Amino acid sequence: MGILTEPLGYEFMQRALLAGIAVAAVCAVIGVFIVQRGLAFLGDGLAHAAFGGIAIGLFMGASVEHAVWIAIPFTAIVALGIGVVLRRSALRGDVATGVFFSFSFALGVLFLGLRTAADRPVQVEHLLFGNMLSVTPTVLYVVVAVAVGACILTLLLWSRLAYAIFDPELAAISGVPVAMLEYLLLAETAVVVVVAVKTVGVVLVSSFVVIPAATARLVGTTLRTATILAIVVSTVGAGVGLIASYHLNTPAAATIILIHSALFAGAFAWSHLGR
Amino acid sequence: MSDPKASLPPSPKSLERRTSARALNQTRPDPSLLHVLDVEHVSIEIRGKRILDDVSFWIPKGEFVCLCGPNGAGKSTLLKAIMGLLPVTQGTIKIGGEGVVAGHHKVGYVPQRKGFDRDFPARGVDLIVAAMRGKWPARIKPEERERALAALAKIGGERLIDKPLAGLSGGETQRVFLARALVNDPSLIILDEPTAGVDARGRGELLELMTGLSRSDELAAILVTHNLAAVAQTAERIVYIEAGRVLCWGLPQELLGQQSLTALAAFQARDHHAHAPDEE
Repeated sequence: MGILTEPLGYEFMQRALLAGIAVAAVCAVIGVFIVQRGLAFLGDGLAHAAFGGIAIGLFMGASVEHAVWIAIPFTAIVALGIGVVLRRSALRGDVATGVFFSFSFALGVLFLGLRTAADRPVQVEHLLFGNMLSVTPTVLYVVVAVAVGACILTLLLWSRLAYAIFDPELAAISGVPVAMLEYLLLAETAVVVVVAVKTVGVVLVSSFVVIPAATARLVGTTLRTATILAIVVSTVGAGVGLIASYHLNTPAAATIILIHSALFAGAFAWSHLGR
Repeated sequence: MSDPKASLPPSPKSLERRTSARALNQTRPDPSLLHVLDVEHVSIEIRGKRILDDVSFWIPKGEFVCLCGPNGAGKSTLLKAIMGLLPVTQGTIKIGGEGVVAGHHKVGYVPQRKGFDRDFPARGVDLIVAAMRGKWPARIKPEERERALAALAKIGGERLIDKPLAGLSGGETQRVFLARALVNDPSLIILDEPTAGVDARGRGELLELMTGLSRSDELAAILVTHNLAAVAQTAERIVYIEAGRVLCWGLPQELLGQQSLTALAAFQARDHHAHAPDEE
């Protein structure tokens, strides 16, 4: 038991565990739809858009904590922009995301570069790779509130979102507001990604969206089982990864993603050999 | 009635075909029969371009109609308007005497096989229950499963109920979609090129099923196809559309036998080319 009780005796580890599980659960729920819609690259694109938004906030004089409030609307606008290009052009999701990804990241680098030496220093490394162990109580409240809200919203819309992704035309005939749901999913993903960036960083957040959903997709035979499996894989991976990172003295987010990747490899092997 | 600037300019060949078509005997349905679908003077413009121009026809209860015409003739636009996915610019569409929104539950739709996400983790029963509920099912109740099974039984596909869609052949997939279209007991079924992309065996089976549907006195159907064998075997009446207009509307023996009608001859030629690459 000491393997669990020792790290969880520290408050910073308790906060990291709660934040990690909240981020893992909400990214898994959204990830199932994002991956099924063929937008696996979206998490990455929006994380880089979040970087651009935070950089704009920093340029305007905000702290890293407060720059998030600039990053959320900025990233949501980028997500909706991707949605508009996706729906109104023949371009595929990865191309639309790639264009906005590059634009937002360039904007972020530009605004960071425009800051003067007199401005307060920023650890860009923390932005890029996150630091789960430095989650403050305020950040934890925001992360948990956003995660719970987004999970409830997605689960309430689950049946209609699933139909819209399976076949937009059939769903529209049944009265499902396909376009509105797609924009809502993109905007929701943007908010979740910005908040997740605070804990797991720009570079690693897309892994939380993609890997558990992809793992569940390999094993689940229905979308319902895939959704449940994605949540289980993601949260178990987050818990095990965090505890392992404490004992191994390795970066928390990276360790979690390596656990997620190992689970993916296991699911892949099982789907090919075990059936 | 229509804006001449927005109308499709008829080519000399198209004018020639219209003249030839006018000379044909075209028997319309008996007006005293119960109307399932009424398309009355429908014109549709998309971004200023007229796709359909003053299209009128109607379908009585139980009649199997083949909607034919070359690619780009406006067939898909017409289907979308009937299903309420596109607004009409002029005219009206009525399903069983109601507008398309109110009457949409009376229509069953079989899309082209390529239309859905083939990687989606779904079984036959999920798809059929989704049509019953109007949303994707997370859990399936026993009575819903029974109804799905009954719909599959109508087309001899009971064994497909729990099969993942991704593992089905083209013909099996369309069987499930056909059961999906039948599950709400529609009065009109729309089949949008159901044999496209289906292998020769599957096409034969589907053709048999569609022939069975065409013999039903209860269910009216619109089949859009480039497959002339399907038209010859199933059609009780043909509506031929070209350049957004109804060129002919009559019995198969009146239209298919007329080798002089350039339009249908061209259609036959297209049928041959259009289906060769689809064969698996």
